[in-house]
Amino acid sequence: MAGGQERVLRRRIRSVNSTRKITKAMELIAAAQIPRALARITANRPYRDGLRRVVLEAIESDPFSARRLVELPEHVETASVLVISGDRGLSGPYNNQNLRAGERLVAELRANGTQVRLAVAGKKAAPYYRFRGLEVERAFAGFVERPTYADAQAIARYLATPFMEGEVHQVLLVSTRYHSAGRQAVEVRQLLPFVVEEAPEAPREGLTGYTEFEPEVAKLLVSLAPRALESEVFAALLEGAAAFLTGQQRAMAAATENADELGRTLTRRMNQARQDAITTEIMEIVGGAEALRSGK
Amino acid sequence: MATLTVEVLAPEAVLWRGAAHALVARSSEGDFTVMAGYAPTVGDVVSTVVRVEGTDEGEVRFAVHAGFFAVGPGEAEGETRATVLASVVERVDEIDVGRAQASLERAQAALAAASSSDDPVAYVEALEAVARAELRLRAAAR
Repeated sequence: MAGGQERVLRRRIRSVNSTRKITKAMELIAAAQIPRALARITANRPYRDGLRRVVLEAIESDPFSARRLVELPEHVETASVLVISGDRGLSGPYNNQNLRAGERLVAELRANGTQVRLAVAGKKAAPYYRFRGLEVERAFAGFVERPTYADAQAIARYLATPFMEGEVHQVLLVSTRYHSAGRQAVEVRQLLPFVVEEAPEAPREGLTGYTEFEPEVAKLLVSLAPRALESEVFAALLEGAAAFLTGQQRAMAAATENADELGRTLTRRMNQARQDAITTEIMEIVGGAEALRSGK
Repeated sequence: MATLTVEVLAPEAVLWRGAAHALVARSSEGDFTVMAGYAPTVGDVVSTVVRVEGTDEGEVRFAVHAGFFAVGPGEAEGETRATVLASVVERVDEIDVGRAQASLERAQAALAAASSSDDPVAYVEALEAVARAELRLRAAAR
């Protein structure tokens, strides 16, 4: 009987160890991809800030032409919400944090009488919302860990068109901001109308007022607004990718540690079971020998 | 000392940054040349070859596929900073003519396919792709 238990334990140890190998590998892969994801954020920053500055200058110098792009109507009838989450699971709380924040936002908007058009990026998002009875108007997926600028363009075009046509009055983004390796936080941001307060650090003071525009602001904004939106979406995708990888690395490190510990406990129990079996066997032999001797 | 610093920025990289004598580009209002002391200006850049003249490497040229530019005072005293921002931009001397030719053929095929279909988005995209490939080839040929 004892030998049977030993076999069962041995099998479990083997399975725990192979799981550990997988989680360890995933941890290492995620860890190796993080620096590249961070380098992409850094490389994107000058462009993103530069474009923000251009937009800001245009808006500040001619608020009248820009009013459609900066003024939020008192009552938002229809809002688009874009939720960025991951394509894959096994990344700790990353997906759920984003998805839940999106769900809350949608509920809030609806409570205020706003119609919501929901768009998602990440394979995990659409099933999540569908299961909860929320209609997903558009699902982008398959690039979340390594977004390209073209992906951001596709999303931005989808978001900008109804806004420019006046069907949608507000565009909101739910995504994870990557502050540092230790701190990532889900944030809700308004993409459209543009938020003027969100100036990059060190705005060029003294510039406003006498900057010339070529062409005039009204015309410039027509081509500038979609590019600016693309740039914001792209930056959010890049940060999301870094946050996803960080979450995955952390989750897999924890899983590896758990597997280690489970393996140790099981090994101990197996050794004990084997020892028990041996002791019992010796007792049986001794008992048998005793019986033979006394029976002689 | 009046100086000019030029930056060429793409979404994923600082393509070029450095001191230069002049930046020559084309906006929807016409050609313009930015030199040190240029008035603060913000505008667009149409698809064109942008030239940065008088740098340490001589003249550096970029194929810019539509973007924006901003000119303003830089951080240093007397510095004028000109920034070109474009979602698609490449250094002309790094253009691979063979690849550009292939992508032109691909884009033309896509355009032919899109013009017989009913998808306006695909049509516009194909048009843009053809324009990009043509600009690339034109820039590299010169």
